[in-house]
Amino acid sequence: MSSHSESHYPHDMWVFPDAQSTTQDVANKTASTPKILKLGLVIAGVLAVLGVVGFVLRMATDGFSDYGAWGYYAAIFSYIFIITSSAPLVAVAFRLTKSHWRRPISRISELFALVGVVNVILYIPLIYLLPSINNPNFTPGMHGELQIRKTIWMEVPVGAPHWWDFLGIISLAVLSLVILWVSVVPDLAETRSTTNGWRKKLYTLLAGHWYGTKKQWIHQKISLALLGALYFMMVVFVHFLIVSDFAMSLIPGWKDSILPPLYTVTGFQSALSIILIIAFTMRKWGGYEKYFGTSVFWSASKIQIGLTLLWTYHLFAFFITLWYGRMELEQNILRYLMFESYSWIFWLNVIFIFLIPFWILVWNPVRKTAWGPALAGIFILVGNLLFQIRIFVGAFNAGDIYHLGLFKVPPPVFPDVWDIFMVLGGIGLVAFIYLIGTRILPALSVWEVKEGAMYQKMGTLYRGEYLVLAKPE
Amino acid sequence: MVSNRIDHKWGMVVDIDKCTGCQACVIACQAENNIPLNTKDTFLQKRVNEWIRIERYWEGEYPNVKARYIPVLCQHCDNAPCEPVCPMYATYHNDQGLNVQVYNRCVGTRYCINNCPYQVRFFNYWHPGWPERLENQLNPDVTVRTRGITEKCTFCVQRLRRAELKVERQSGARLNDEALEKGNYAPACVHACPTSALTFGDQHDGGAKIRNYFDDVNAHDIHHEHERETRGYRLMEEVNTRPNVIYLKKIDQHPLGKGDGHV
Amino acid sequence: MQEGRVLPAEQVNRDLLRSILETPKWFWPVVGILGLIVLIAAILIGYMINRGLGITGLNRPIFWGFFITNFVFWIGISHAGVMLSAILRLAKAEWRRPATRAAEVLTIFSLMTAMIMPIIHTGRPWRILYWAFPYDFARGIWPNVRTPLIWDPSAILTYLTSSTLFVLIALVPDFAVLRDRTTGISHRIYGLLAMGWEGNARQWKLQIIAGVLLSALILPVFVSVHSIVSWDFGMAVAAKSWHSTIFAPYFVVGAVHSGVSAVAFVLILLRWMYGWQDYIRHEHIDGLGRLLVVVATGWFYFFVMEVIFGIYGREADEIAVRSLQFIQEPFQAWTIIFIVTTYFIPVALWLTRRARRNLWIMSLACISVNIGMWLERYLIIVPGLANRTAFTFSWNSYVPSVYEAIIVGATFAFVSMLLLLFSRVFPLIPLYDIKEGDILKNESVKIGRRVVPAVFRED
Repeated sequence: MSSHSESHYPHDMWVFPDAQSTTQDVANKTASTPKILKLGLVIAGVLAVLGVVGFVLRMATDGFSDYGAWGYYAAIFSYIFIITSSAPLVAVAFRLTKSHWRRPISRISELFALVGVVNVILYIPLIYLLPSINNPNFTPGMHGELQIRKTIWMEVPVGAPHWWDFLGIISLAVLSLVILWVSVVPDLAETRSTTNGWRKKLYTLLAGHWYGTKKQWIHQKISLALLGALYFMMVVFVHFLIVSDFAMSLIPGWKDSILPPLYTVTGFQSALSIILIIAFTMRKWGGYEKYFGTSVFWSASKIQIGLTLLWTYHLFAFFITLWYGRMELEQNILRYLMFESYSWIFWLNVIFIFLIPFWILVWNPVRKTAWGPALAGIFILVGNLLFQIRIFVGAFNAGDIYHLGLFKVPPPVFPDVWDIFMVLGGIGLVAFIYLIGTRILPALSVWEVKEGAMYQKMGTLYRGEYLVLAKPE
Repeated sequence: MVSNRIDHKWGMVVDIDKCTGCQACVIACQAENNIPLNTKDTFLQKRVNEWIRIERYWEGEYPNVKARYIPVLCQHCDNAPCEPVCPMYATYHNDQGLNVQVYNRCVGTRYCINNCPYQVRFFNYWHPGWPERLENQLNPDVTVRTRGITEKCTFCVQRLRRAELKVERQSGARLNDEALEKGNYAPACVHACPTSALTFGDQHDGGAKIRNYFDDVNAHDIHHEHERETRGYRLMEEVNTRPNVIYLKKIDQHPLGKGDGHV
Repeated sequence: MQEGRVLPAEQVNRDLLRSILETPKWFWPVVGILGLIVLIAAILIGYMINRGLGITGLNRPIFWGFFITNFVFWIGISHAGVMLSAILRLAKAEWRRPATRAAEVLTIFSLMTAMIMPIIHTGRPWRILYWAFPYDFARGIWPNVRTPLIWDPSAILTYLTSSTLFVLIALVPDFAVLRDRTTGISHRIYGLLAMGWEGNARQWKLQIIAGVLLSALILPVFVSVHSIVSWDFGMAVAAKSWHSTIFAPYFVVGAVHSGVSAVAFVLILLRWMYGWQDYIRHEHIDGLGRLLVVVATGWFYFFVMEVIFGIYGREADEIAVRSLQFIQEPFQAWTIIFIVTTYFIPVALWLTRRARRNLWIMSLACISVNIGMWLERYLIIVPGLANRTAFTFSWNSYVPSVYEAIIVGATFAFVSMLLLLFSRVFPLIPLYDIKEGDILKNESVKIGRRVVPAVFRED
């Protein structure tokens, strides 16, 4: 590369990996399993087993009849679901905007589709737990009780909402797997002849048809664009279903049109954060620094801080509308979810999702590093877990759900040992499956990074050095 | 501020069982408070100005039809939604429990009108005018509002002030039910009602006629409505406006088969 | 981008300053007609202030009608400016270059027009003019800060001030060009406005920093203005259909939708009127169309959320409003027209490249969006008030009077007139932005056997 004497970028802002060596390098990294990765797998595996233990013991002590005991299960399900379903959107959305910085991280985001399969399994207990929409104890003339509790399902079609939500989750899992497959095929095809053993069999099965002809590339590009757009709309829709049916509908009197967008924004924010944490890890300890320039973090952190502000804005809109009118039932919702029962978790939630990440990311020099967004991301992930706990544990323990409204503010529910096991287990399960996934499929989108290296170079304008971006439309 | 003012909290009880829908209260209010005349044009323009109105609802199918009447007036809510939204503080809650409208601060944004759940606020679209000579019957104690201002029931605050002056400050007696009635100080609608469906009084006066109902309704909130001992209820209680007007349910001897016959 | 030819700077100056240095034949007649419409409306406003609001179609309970709809509409249009100049600048989209000045100026004029509406619709406008300011004008009482009606002037004036500053600072290099090409009194005025601009490195650096800073700082204002206007409705408890937590982002996205469509339309008009085919190219309208697909779909999501959660509670009074909007005439017809014109017709057109590159189709699509968005505000306000309480005795309908229609129509004439007058005095396409874009694209990249146009990326 030419001299950096007049360049006002840090030296590792953009990287232009050599195409010849990239394929083999990434293949080597995928095939090897360094000690630290083995350690990670062991820890994740132990946590996952703990989670199963917690689940079984919860089932033994409470069974499936009392859904109030399963609040933390619902919270960790929602946490896993929202992050794994939103993660592929980072690749999808920034392919659509033709942003070059998405190239190194797109495979990281798509790999979450493998974890998405777990959502389907984790959802199954919730089918039995979710109380029915019709009030079994309703008699006409009852005061303050509803025959059908408030729900987004209008005339309550058969199977609503349990099975329709299930259908939504299954279709998200399937669609994200298809997107992953379409995206990973060129990379697998490149290495199918040089690997051996089970990898060779698998790669030939998945990518045997790919020869890299012009028609195939065009076909792949169009598929990714269309599937991506469809996936985006489906994700937003299924988020709306899950949060409305499993949270809003279970707290009587909670009518809140901004909750689905708030939930979706939380998902996007956490998904981007976990991807940046993984990218930082890969860059620092995985030997991938040749492929991740700090431009990835610099651009993604702007989106991250934007989403943080957007989250706060949605939360404030929710608060001010409910607070202003001084209606008793609305004030009780605020007391329950924000200021009395779950107040400490609410304030921690705000500090972890907004205050700390904002004050980390607002500094441009910090945004230009790789650790800055990753650090903010850790706080965001913790804050998101607190958010899910607040909403879902609150929803599952809101007392009589067929009431007109929250007449009394219920007390908070603290986790017991099995709940803690389940939460940790969920996190461990995600980590375990993801790490296994990085052993099977390459964690870097080789074709995209090579394409990027073709489109970018450093150029000189007058006395300064700048990035030159080709614009083939 | 007069420091030795006796503490009052004015309230009204409307007995729907006694209301015949005769509209005497409407006329009395219009006469007392210089409300512009509601002509045929006013009705066609849908801009009727009635600080207290009789709402009539039809129940049943011909030939078994019943008319239900309910007088609706400003509820003087303790938690009034009209108060926080006025940019000029033209409406506020005074220390006697009244929701007062300050005409010379009102610029007519009409947000208060939109935010009143009972629809009891009115806007002067036109400059008021009376036919010749009818101006002689205007009440000198009450401002004639110009166009562009919002107005509503004041519980005839001019009468209450005159009462305070005469009864409390001049003779030192307490303004109770008897004093209000004897001196004609209660609101015009209360005095005009032929069936005594409207009762007015001080919620802080132990001997007031309305005390029984207010105590009962205050003791049992909306979730314990079935435990109330009187027929009392508040309009649209779930909006938590905490009105200072209580309605008493009508007991229908021959209900049409819908509910228990109360409005 | 790659479709334009790189023109010599002198020609760029000549082309873009043509609107200032020469007067097209149609100019004064058009401004005259628009001015006449505005004058008629001004007379009618005077009459209305004199006679009272009785001459409008407002009644009980529909106390807010055409004027407030128009107010929210113009605030919505004003959001285009920040979207295109600030957000696209921060996102480093090259295709924003010709659009920024027109968008920012449209923002300023639509904000000014929007502010007229709440003033004239009050009962005593001569008082609200100064009582809304934070001072105890009215008998020692300060304005009530708890009401959204006081948040409104604060937010709108902040937005107006910052947008004006933004435009003036961005105009400084162009003022210098004009200063150097005029004589006499024009020369002196432009010289004053140019504030001694010489175009040296230090001044350019300050100019860029100022632009980036203002872009970032104006973003929170941009989001908060329309959120606050939406809370005029959202804070009301008595109008059930208004009391929805989603109003703030819903209105903001709707504002971006209608605003960007308006700017696209204005650009197509300018291109035709002043012969700027080299500067406002098909690729710019194409880019705007693609942005609009995303914005429109986001808007549609928020709209569906609002309706679903409106019906969610199955509360009788809210269902009454919704059934008025969607089932009963005449609102049902308006609702169908609104949904079709705001989303389905435009987005269906914008999804195809051919339609995005055809200027006639784009103009129709953008006008369709703005018709739909005006109807959207009307359908939120009037049905929300018509059936708003549980007391069906007070339900009523609203027919706007001819005065309201004329005044509302005249606001469109007013904004157009101001834009035309502005174009006579200041360049509507930023000269240095175009030249900067030309410099940055003087590069190419060889990919395989193809040489592909490229652009320098500066930060």
